[in-house]
Amino acid sequence: MEAINERELVERCRRGDEGAFQELVDRYKDLVFALIARTVQDRSRAEDLAQEVFLRIHRGLPYFRGEARLSTWIYRIVANVCLQDQTRPAAGREIVSLDDDGARGRVTVSTPDRRFDDLELRDRLEKAIARLPAHYRLLVAAHYLKGVQYEDLADAMQLPLGTVKTQLYRAKQQLRRLLETDLK
Amino acid sequence: MFCDEVLDAIEAIAAGDLTPDGRVSDHLTSCPDCAAALGDARELERMLRARPVPRTSSQFTSRTMARVRRARWRSEQFLDMGFNFAIGMVILAVVAGVWMLMHRSGLTAISNDAVDLFSTAFVTLARRIAPSVPLYAGATALLVTALGIWWWAERDATL
Repeated sequence: MEAINERELVERCRRGDEGAFQELVDRYKDLVFALIARTVQDRSRAEDLAQEVFLRIHRGLPYFRGEARLSTWIYRIVANVCLQDQTRPAAGREIVSLDDDGARGRVTVSTPDRRFDDLELRDRLEKAIARLPAHYRLLVAAHYLKGVQYEDLADAMQLPLGTVKTQLYRAKQQLRRLLETDLK
Repeated sequence: MFCDEVLDAIEAIAAGDLTPDGRVSDHLTSCPDCAAALGDARELERMLRARPVPRTSSQFTSRTMARVRRARWRSEQFLDMGFNFAIGMVILAVVAGVWMLMHRSGLTAISNDAVDLFSTAFVTLARRIAPSVPLYAGATALLVTALGIWWWAERDATL
């Protein structure tokens, strides 16, 4: 049912129906934005890139043949936009270091201040993710968004399923090493 | 079984993509380092799943649609410009073609006579009109002033 609606929506967009395109933006904006915001970790930059994704969707819809699912095609555009953004000069881009806030001891997650520790740990996690290579960051961002399966990622990245899994495991291995003291 | 072999599979086991077989399970029970690595990997898995999902601002759709409209307008302008340029080139080509045709068929001599005739007529007309120029200028100024006042009044009425 959803696939039929999706096809209808794409057809209406192709005919130049602005309302249909607005519906498409509303339907996918949270997914696209979350994916980009998790990858670039800068809200205003993420919003700008998310708009860029929808511009490319608008330009590309006449050439979308419907062989892949619309969401897969959108992931592919998101991946291209994020990876292209990483190749641009890093003017104004924040360089995050795990030691930005000085050397800290081990985080113990079983104390009464667990919520605070969790927040601190989450902050360390975000900083650790920022140190990953761009394509690893994108994989981690996408895989842990609700509903994004390995198969969707493989289609979107145009990589074999096994490669996607291996790269994801390597990304997590790097993260585990970066957070070694905090996770214990 | 070596630690390296188990450590390579730790992320897959923590993600639930791989169920450890007997040898791996035995190793994990007997090796505290690998068991700790699995614990860390599971904790990382939990944290990644619990990562908050960033949400768009409330104006995201309207901003995006405005950007789409701007981009479409720009591309239409570009197309219009290209179309106008093409039309201009076609007109130029037609004029050049006609001129070449006239030149080859000897019609340019006739057209030179026609140009002379028109220029003589224009000079005669200018000489006759010259004494009345102040009158025409005054009338034109009055007309322009009246049109200006009308435009100003209409503009105020629509605001």
